[in-house]
Amino acid sequence: MKNDYYTMRELMAVAGARELKDNQNVLVGLGLPQIASILAQMTHAPGLTMILEIGVIDPQPKEPSVGIADPRIWFKSNYFTNTTGIMGSFLHRGLVDVGFIGGLEIDMYGNLNSTMVNQPGGGFRHFTGSGGANDIASLAKNIFVIMSHERRKFKEKVSYNTSSGFLEGYDSRTDIGLKGGGPSRIITDKAILGFDEESKRMKLLSVHPGVRIEDVVENTGFELLMDRVEETEPPTESEIELLREVIDPGRIYIK
Amino acid sequence: MAAASKIVKMEEAVAAIPDGSHLAFSGFAITRSPVAFAHELIRQGKKNLTLSQCIAAFETDLLVGAGLVKRLNYGGGSLDRPGPLHNVNRAIERKLFEVNEYSNLALAMRFMAGSIGIPYIPSQTILGSSILEKLLATKGDEIKTGKCPFTGDNVVMLKALTPDYAVVHVPRADKSGNAIIYGPRWDQEAAMASNHIIIIADEIIADELTPHLAQEVIIPAPRVDMVVNQPYGAHPTSVYGKYDYDRAHIEEYVAYAKTEDGMRDYLDKFVYSVKSFNEYLELIGGINRINELTADSLKKY
Repeated sequence: MKNDYYTMRELMAVAGARELKDNQNVLVGLGLPQIASILAQMTHAPGLTMILEIGVIDPQPKEPSVGIADPRIWFKSNYFTNTTGIMGSFLHRGLVDVGFIGGLEIDMYGNLNSTMVNQPGGGFRHFTGSGGANDIASLAKNIFVIMSHERRKFKEKVSYNTSSGFLEGYDSRTDIGLKGGGPSRIITDKAILGFDEESKRMKLLSVHPGVRIEDVVENTGFELLMDRVEETEPPTESEIELLREVIDPGRIYIK
Repeated sequence: MAAASKIVKMEEAVAAIPDGSHLAFSGFAITRSPVAFAHELIRQGKKNLTLSQCIAAFETDLLVGAGLVKRLNYGGGSLDRPGPLHNVNRAIERKLFEVNEYSNLALAMRFMAGSIGIPYIPSQTILGSSILEKLLATKGDEIKTGKCPFTGDNVVMLKALTPDYAVVHVPRADKSGNAIIYGPRWDQEAAMASNHIIIIADEIIADELTPHLAQEVIIPAPRVDMVVNQPYGAHPTSVYGKYDYDRAHIEEYVAYAKTEDGMRDYLDKFVYSVKSFNEYLELIGGINRINELTADSLKKY
């Protein structure tokens, strides 16, 4: 599991960056999605545009921030607008290529819960809710989910569907009229997962170096599809250098 | 063309809000929250408020914690990394008020419809989600599903939302209400949807200056009813171009807000024990703390 030149969060950031393509519009949140997008810009995707839900396009932040409401993340932007200027004119209009989201729970069809979790003794705990997550999940062309891989978070069925994945699988997502493409990649601290083209069930694509397939299975609360499971390509030394020296020198997000 | 001054004292602006009003605040998590206005609402003991906000923020958690809110329409929210909206989450868990959960865009589109005076707006977000399912079950008079009459696509029909008052914190305004916002303006739809707008400005600029800054004016005077001048009135949240958020104070708040008893202590210490927001600013460290938070002119935070 341990290795000498990168951490699991660095690997997740690199894996996210590699999934992004040049000239894409990427709607990012705080933390790893932002780090992954900047890394992609500095390597293979110089034409990538970062978009923030709060009304910001193309920022070039130089200091770490605590959220998208932190003005540090708006530094040197090219454009400021209102909520519908981003969530309408870009997202609902179908111009967001990739949206990054996270959640408390995910199910076998990629539906995400970030709203409420039932308590064992009855009652429930309430959390952040949707924010823009539902809109991104509904309308972006591709969704990347970044989560830690734990059995209690990877559930057969989420108790509350905050952000729609493939709903009940097969064509149920398109049948209900959702325009976005749905989740395409789940990047965890153990593996990279995708979805079966027909059934839309979650499928194990690769396990990170040092992680066994059984580790992933044990930490997933439903049956994963798999055929040829590869090993996730580890970060290169130059990617790690960029992350540590340039993108997150304080190691706020990639520790 | 000398416009009449709409400047009033904070106490007067808040006194004009009847119990049971529907308010839209400008905050987003930890930025541009009209905190001074919220403090005065609490001191005046307003009751049964309805709040509508795309991303709930510091002022909303404060008002929920103080027990002023009977209904919350919101699209989710937190205080970013410093912590969750403890009071909002607790009120939902204990069913202390009516909560209607949307997504950011679904609520923003309700405001957008309200802002341009159309009765409803079709949308293709939230389809298939528990958000939509719950709203259809409880708020069928405000949200419906149907087909687009042209394409036959499934759509969500969102009723226009027109709060009674928007309370918008801005860095600068003139005395007739032309209000300047720097940086992103997530709250523009909510402000323009509201029947009345109250501007809380850190700085009042001369009317003669406004034509030179017209491109920075986001809310125009004809829509504005009252203007209150309250420097640092969004503390501990940030105002882009004016001051940074006070991370230490927000973290202190989150620690207090974790329990109901703690929240009462916070309100006693920072809201009820003072008569005005200027007294509160003394309490949080006065001019020395304010100097530390004042924005760098290039970075704007």
